[in-house]
Amino acid sequence: MTSELSVLLRAWDVRKTFEDGALQVPVLHGVTLSVHAGQLTLLMGPSGSGKTTLISILTGLLRPSSGKVELCGEPISELGDGQVSAVRRRELGFIFQTYNLFPALTARDNVMEVLRLKGMAAGEARKRAEDALGRVGLADRMKHRPGELSGGQKQRVAIARALASKPRVIVGDEVTGALDGQTALSVMEILRDHVTSSSAVLIVTHDHRLERFADRVVELEDGELAADRAPNRHWTSSRFDIRASQDQGKLP
Amino acid sequence: MRRIALLSLIHDRSKLVASIAGVTFAAVLVLLQMGVYAGFLTISSATITHMGGDVWVMPRGTEVLDSVEILSSGTRSAVGAHPCVSDVRPLVFVWSFIRKAGGTRDSVRVVGVERGRGPIMPWELERGLPSDLEGPGRVAVDAFDLGKLQIQGDPIGARLDIGGQRAEIAGITQGVRSFTLLPFVFTNIRDARRMAGLGDGEANYWVVDLKDPACAEQVMGDIQRNPQLMAVRREDFVTMTQNYWIGGSGVGPALGFSALLGLIVGVVVVGQTLYTMTKDYERELATLKALGATSWELVRFVGWQAGFLALIGSTLGSVIAFMTTGAAAAGGLTIVLSSSVMAVGLGAVILMCVAASFMSIRKVLKLQAAEVFK
Ligand SMILES: Nc1ncnc2c1ncn2[C@@H]1O[C@H](COP(=O)(O)OP(=O)(O)OP(=O)(O)O)[C@@H](O)[C@H]1O
Ligand SMILES: [Mg+2]
Repeated sequence: MTSELSVLLRAWDVRKTFEDGALQVPVLHGVTLSVHAGQLTLLMGPSGSGKTTLISILTGLLRPSSGKVELCGEPISELGDGQVSAVRRRELGFIFQTYNLFPALTARDNVMEVLRLKGMAAGEARKRAEDALGRVGLADRMKHRPGELSGGQKQRVAIARALASKPRVIVGDEVTGALDGQTALSVMEILRDHVTSSSAVLIVTHDHRLERFADRVVELEDGELAADRAPNRHWTSSRFDIRASQDQGKLP
Repeated sequence: MRRIALLSLIHDRSKLVASIAGVTFAAVLVLLQMGVYAGFLTISSATITHMGGDVWVMPRGTEVLDSVEILSSGTRSAVGAHPCVSDVRPLVFVWSFIRKAGGTRDSVRVVGVERGRGPIMPWELERGLPSDLEGPGRVAVDAFDLGKLQIQGDPIGARLDIGGQRAEIAGITQGVRSFTLLPFVFTNIRDARRMAGLGDGEANYWVVDLKDPACAEQVMGDIQRNPQLMAVRREDFVTMTQNYWIGGSGVGPALGFSALLGLIVGVVVVGQTLYTMTKDYERELATLKALGATSWELVRFVGWQAGFLALIGSTLGSVIAFMTTGAAAAGGLTIVLSSSVMAVGLGAVILMCVAASFMSIRKVLKLQAAEVFK
């Protein structure tokens, strides 16, 4: 299917146990997984199954208790914090359920300042920010602050921020969680468009309707891989209600 | 990071205003306390500074300018005979009584010098000329003391009774005040001696100008062979006098304590603002960290905000302190905002802002990028 070279994220027998004082909380029990370039992969599973923990480890935000992780060929589970940061800076874009935009900055500045932090010159960063916002359909909202934007628009700013540095991997946790059905779908379309032969998108979600945008669905249950399957592209809103599933945290 | 930090700070108006007020308050308090202190130092030794000279000769055991020991005329010629001495100027500096219009008596400080030798005294004449004090009984008093001395109407020509001698105001000084608040009365050397009850040729100090400052040590040694006399370098006498009044008075610690209170209030207000800023933006900062920003870059979020508050607060504080100094001078209080006072005061305010950043920097350094998904 895909060649070895195009694996952008890879985990070998990753285990994670949180130490909560004297309490040991085992969360991941040996997860082995590859995420390929050219694909939009969904990571699904019940609440508490360890999805967030897994993507945190895959992106070097958390260290596994054991096992090995590679991000774009770099063995991040073995690198020092500074080196892991440098890999993230170069290769990763993040999107969150809560957007995490700076309220004082305009849409353009929110995108631009991250590029500046990545070391880009101001002029170049501004141009890239404007391009990225244009691509997510916010060309006319550049000067708006998050407080003046709708949830969907804010999430599009966050996507522009993730896209602007042209990372090879974009990771999102519940990126549509705070959005209504229609807005959620438009956000996914933008992410879908970002998948090229050299980049990968990995999205954690509870929403089966998003499967229609996916190339692959990985399911986690109790810290273990329960399924690795092709997406079911026929989920519709009449069969499945996003909110209900989120409230229960379980699939119907 | 500068834009993120400053725009975020400015975005939150109420916090911004509160913290600028905090820094400004601290800056004003620190500068004014230090300025008052520097003012006390300046005032307590102003007469010495303005008289100048290389070496001051005084009766042995003198601790402070305001002592009232007397030097005989013979010692003047003895000092003047030294080959390295170019001039010996007498200074009468002694307290006396004034009888006020209402009939009550009050104390004054009579200052007399020989005209035409050394710097002009008094040093700030608002009305009249130094030569106007040469006539018999002619004196200069300070504009600020007129009320205290119960002099009404145009003071020039007003009659006074000082030390039982008739006197007439011929000059008005401006801001020439003593640390003890005793009104200064400047006059010629003859009248000063009479008002103070000194004999002909006597004085309280011989102010010695040297031909070559390098021979100060030798001159002082020679003078001190007379067991009645003490010779002190002018700078040392300034320090002795300042230490006597300021060091012994507890005024330094009192002013220092107020300045410290200002700094503490400043640390709390600024620290509070910086900390809540960091806390409010925890998620966004963690996001930057997840995207690869280093801890050092996140520390700059706090650093820029602290620096900005320090800059604005110090500037506003300095302006207010200078305005206060003008108003205080009109009220008779000397506040000296010298360059060293400004440097030390604003340095303290900057240190205060650094101290205030401490908690936030700690928080930023402990920030886990993994928090972004919480
Ligand atoms: N820092 C931590 N310390 C202790 N336990 C933790 C920590 N982070 C997560 N856990 C635990 O690990 C388990 C998995 O959490 P995780 O957030 O990965 O689940 P999830 O699949 O993302 O769930 P959800 O769908 O609700 O977001 C949970 O039981 C959680 O309580
Ligand atoms: Mg989660």
